[in-house]
Amino acid sequence: MRRISLIIVLAFFFTNFANAGGGWTQPKGGIYLKLSEWWIISNQHYTDAGLIDPNTTSGIFNTSFYGEYGITDRWTAVAYVPFFSRSYMNNVLSGTTGEVLILGEAINSFGDTDLSIKYALNKKGLIRTAATLTLGLPLGNNSGGSQGNLQTGDGEFNQLLQLDASSSFRIKNTSIYGTATVGFNNRTKGFSDEFRYGIEVGAGLFKNKFWLIGRIMGVESFQNGTLSSDSNSTSIFANNSEFTSYSVEGTIYLTKQFGVSASYASAFRGQIIFANPSYSVGVFLDLTK
Amino acid sequence: MTRNVFAILIFGVLVLHGCIGDDIIEDRVDPVVRVSNAIDTLKNGTSYQFEATFFDQVGMEVMIDLSWSSSDENIISVSETGLANALQIGNALITVDGLAPSGEQVSAELLVAVGEETIGSISERTGTLQTTSSYELKGDFILKEEGGVLKLSFANNYQASTALPGLYIYLTNNPSTSSGAFEIGAVTEFEGAHSYDLPSSIDLMDYEYVLYFCKPFNAKVGDGQFN
Repeated sequence: MRRISLIIVLAFFFTNFANAGGGWTQPKGGIYLKLSEWWIISNQHYTDAGLIDPNTTSGIFNTSFYGEYGITDRWTAVAYVPFFSRSYMNNVLSGTTGEVLILGEAINSFGDTDLSIKYALNKKGLIRTAATLTLGLPLGNNSGGSQGNLQTGDGEFNQLLQLDASSSFRIKNTSIYGTATVGFNNRTKGFSDEFRYGIEVGAGLFKNKFWLIGRIMGVESFQNGTLSSDSNSTSIFANNSEFTSYSVEGTIYLTKQFGVSASYASAFRGQIIFANPSYSVGVFLDLTK
Repeated sequence: MTRNVFAILIFGVLVLHGCIGDDIIEDRVDPVVRVSNAIDTLKNGTSYQFEATFFDQVGMEVMIDLSWSSSDENIISVSETGLANALQIGNALITVDGLAPSGEQVSAELLVAVGEETIGSISERTGTLQTTSSYELKGDFILKEEGGVLKLSFANNYQASTALPGLYIYLTNNPSTSSGAFEIGAVTEFEGAHSYDLPSSIDLMDYEYVLYFCKPFNAKVGDGQFN
């Protein structure tokens, strides 16, 4: 089965949205770097009917590097590189005899990588807009394990075109920003194309040393790919996944440029995706400050 | 402080990097002994070797000592090993029983008549699929021999969800797991009448259930028990 595109989607959103700046781009020469760990452990999933069914406990852990570089004041290069990705599935034991019925497995590999180029459509005004083209490179393993059902990537090359609109203001000593995002993800290898959307609101507290960020994100499938049942792969990245999720992230600047972050995410609804929360922790270096 | 944060993160990464754990499933079924070559009628004056198979509390075939008996040795006599002799016209209840390794007493009975010819009692088995998940699965099925081949056939009312790549069909004596089951293959038909030819190693009475499993998730989708 092609499993859970949510996994890669969430990893992408968490890492990129946290730092991609919405409608803003990096200044020329600006650098933002982040090392983070994202994971999900799931023993249930949303079915095609939107209900929740159990499955053998599976987990994915992504250790990734994320970086932004301001090529010019308008152009920013972005890279998300999960250089170590682990996917595993639990042993299944008989409750009657204690014997191992199905042996668990794990794979470790490089994960699917995103390279993006972002362009500021306008640099002035209350609302800043930017367009981003992301190329999703299938560098992960899309058919690992003895059953081919462990994955660190979906095996397809996708292109995501995204528009962000952001605005910021201050209320007393608190900085607040908001970003709205829409995107079209063109997928290959029989995967259905997707419409993506999201809103993000962040507040800077304690002289912007602590940021609290909330997001709502979603993916809707155009259902124009091959049926999941026609897929030859039994991997974990499902085709035609859909979801609406929410997440909360906290970011702390320990020094002027260095800090840590942590986030939690879960889904309001979904189809053919994991139904357990995901988490991430990271350390970042903000060299624009 | 920076060094401490890095150390904590690296340690956390190492700890968090997914150890394979154990999922435990409740897979107990009632132990059962099943006559594999039951007949309705035995021709008067002839012999017939009954055979039976024992399946344990997880549906696995296990060799145990079985003993046979007849309710009326004057009509049908049967040896301890299941060799029956038809002696005169009438009916007799043939019983096979044994002691399961779990300590449970198991038995099976069949009513056999003595008549003018030997007639097999079971030439086909039927059942109905039911979903045990949130995925659609329904339809009637029949297992019977056609042209020397054992066929599992599904009726026109069969329907299975297409949202499940990696959906496989099995024959099993334990509907809780695909482990130990006979894998017929990947499901390629998701609606309407169709059939599967089974290998000659499979007999009519070998299995009790048709099982649908999502192989990559190791998740049960549904089953159907033979009547």
